[in-house]
Amino acid sequence: MTGDYKFDTLSLHAGFTPDDRHGSAAVPIHQTTSYVFKNTEHAAALYNLEIGGHLYSRISNPTVAVLEQRVAALDEGIGAVATSSGMSALFVTVLALCSAGDHIVSSSQMYGANINLFQHTLSRYGITTTFVAPNKPEAFAEAIQENTKMVFGEVIGNPGLDIMDITRVGKIANDAGVPLVIDATFNTPYLLKPLKNGANIVIHSLTKWMGGHGVALGGIVVDGGNFDWGQNDRFPTLTESHFGFQGVNLYEEFGPAAFINRVRTEGMYNVGPCLSPTNAFHLIQGIETLGLRMDRHMKNTEKMLNFLSEHEAISWVKHPTLPNHPDYEVAKRLMPKGSGSVIACGLKGGRQAGQTFIESVQVASHLANVGDAKTLVIHPGSTTQSHLSPEAMKAAGLTDDMLRISVGLEDFDDLKSDFEQALSRASKARG
Amino acid sequence: MKINLNNEIIFASTGGRVFEPKMDPLWFIHGSGQSHLSFILQGRFFANRGWPVIAADMPSHGLSNGIALMSIEAMSDWQIALMDQLDVEKVQIVGHSQGGLIGLDMAHRYPNRVSQLSLVATALSIPVNAGLIEMAKNKEQSAIDAMIDWGHGPEGHNHDNTMPGQNHLNFGVQLMAANKVGALYADLKACVDYTNGNLAANEIKLPVQLILAQKDKMTPMKSGLKAAEALRTDNITIVENAGHMLPSEHPEDVNRALRSFFIKS
Repeated sequence: MTGDYKFDTLSLHAGFTPDDRHGSAAVPIHQTTSYVFKNTEHAAALYNLEIGGHLYSRISNPTVAVLEQRVAALDEGIGAVATSSGMSALFVTVLALCSAGDHIVSSSQMYGANINLFQHTLSRYGITTTFVAPNKPEAFAEAIQENTKMVFGEVIGNPGLDIMDITRVGKIANDAGVPLVIDATFNTPYLLKPLKNGANIVIHSLTKWMGGHGVALGGIVVDGGNFDWGQNDRFPTLTESHFGFQGVNLYEEFGPAAFINRVRTEGMYNVGPCLSPTNAFHLIQGIETLGLRMDRHMKNTEKMLNFLSEHEAISWVKHPTLPNHPDYEVAKRLMPKGSGSVIACGLKGGRQAGQTFIESVQVASHLANVGDAKTLVIHPGSTTQSHLSPEAMKAAGLTDDMLRISVGLEDFDDLKSDFEQALSRASKARG
Repeated sequence: MKINLNNEIIFASTGGRVFEPKMDPLWFIHGSGQSHLSFILQGRFFANRGWPVIAADMPSHGLSNGIALMSIEAMSDWQIALMDQLDVEKVQIVGHSQGGLIGLDMAHRYPNRVSQLSLVATALSIPVNAGLIEMAKNKEQSAIDAMIDWGHGPEGHNHDNTMPGQNHLNFGVQLMAANKVGALYADLKACVDYTNGNLAANEIKLPVQLILAQKDKMTPMKSGLKAAEALRTDNITIVENAGHMLPSEHPEDVNRALRSFFIKS
């Protein structure tokens, strides 16, 4: 750790220098597709990766760059590329590392769209995935093959809330010459910096806690620069000639930044899931208060856990900070400030009671998101994971009576009253 | 490109272009604990404009094998051996920090092998704090963190970057951590042991340029100005608001100054 600014200061300032001409204190929204070149030499220099600057907003944009630099600073990465969503952040990561015939080892218990991407989309292009339980590090070791290009998982699994011991899995992956890629959406760098705890690449859905306001979609890939891509011959996309840019060898010419340069020079150039400058601006506003919000999320989550655990209408409560959670010790070691603000619980009366509860809440919102400043509730079995087969539901640790609660920042007394009345209605519904 | 030098495989960046020494190559020499990656944007800039470029990783640095060299003179000899291996008669040196001391020593002891000398953020001697040397020997990561902290100016500390999305401080840490253990200690010891700077400055007779950083905490600007006086040159560029790592933090200012020097000379 360098003698750097601390977390809340970085959240407010990192990556932005007011310009000399206007001195705008807020990050300006550079709502432009393109940039006027100073002359032909300047244009060529940008295309030749020999000077910094912007060519076209699909590839980079000044407002988006501030967001990238801010998140890279918070995660202690060497660089970042922001994307239109968390899913596209994952996709451009895979694109930079994997080709047809390659293999991924992934956690089996994570966000349904992540599973779908690996299981159904990538497999059509010749990239296969072996799924293993996230809390069994030895299973990752057994699943790694000669053609494995990345190990992937979520620190806090969504929605099952299983914890991956990324320190152990990272060592297993790195010992096998493979990077650990982590979806850190649920923890944010405030609760855990995966790059300092075993991971090599981090992706976030910025739409969730990082933005916090629920007004803008966005994703990001952050490169730790802590993986030696030249240690073996597994990563030709990084260690052999690039298809463009005069055949640059990214590993030789950019060293630790080879991966993140590949993401920008392939994922953004050739696919183009770029983040809009306006969304970047909104996300920057959210990140300014990330530390404050996460503290309040953790406090309200603790209060909600106490409330639910004692309520007669609730049959079970799952959260990594509860001693009965199977990964309690790992969570406490990795995330001493808290293990996120999503709670899973079972409602007596199963699906019918669950539906009544969700339709009865008034302060909490029923929607398909997490990490908003407002409290959100959903019944995964009938919504977000409804496309999964019964077998996949079971493998993902889901049950029919399960509610997912994303605890927000409201005054807890109001949340408690709202949940009391909704649980009462749910109890009556089950008779 | 990979080169077999003294039975060790070493690496030298050519700025992404084929190395064809039709003229005296631009010969970039990195500083303590650094590698060719200190000059990413200089190497590519000049190579793309037709200059032959070499930015070699010294032994134990970057992608080069071999044992770290323990004196500035040994490092100079190694650079000359690399020139011989590549059939290069003369070079135009760009030396950053410790690389400047090496350039100075090469120009002094091998006057027929150096045509011009650009010294970037350097001085005639680099007195390294004893505590930092001790840290480099016994607690290398702490020494790296301290050097990255002191070495960067306002842009780096504000996590701003001309390269969209990139981070100077964390990149710097990973660049230095990628070297082999002991390389940083050897470099810092070599710097503090080098005492021939004034003698070299008095005796060398070739065009010299200094590019200095206004907010350099590692080789303060005033030391660079004294070096310019001893070297009898008024070719001085001061980059405002820059720290010691100005080739990466202020690449366009550095490239502009270098280009002006090499074209005029």
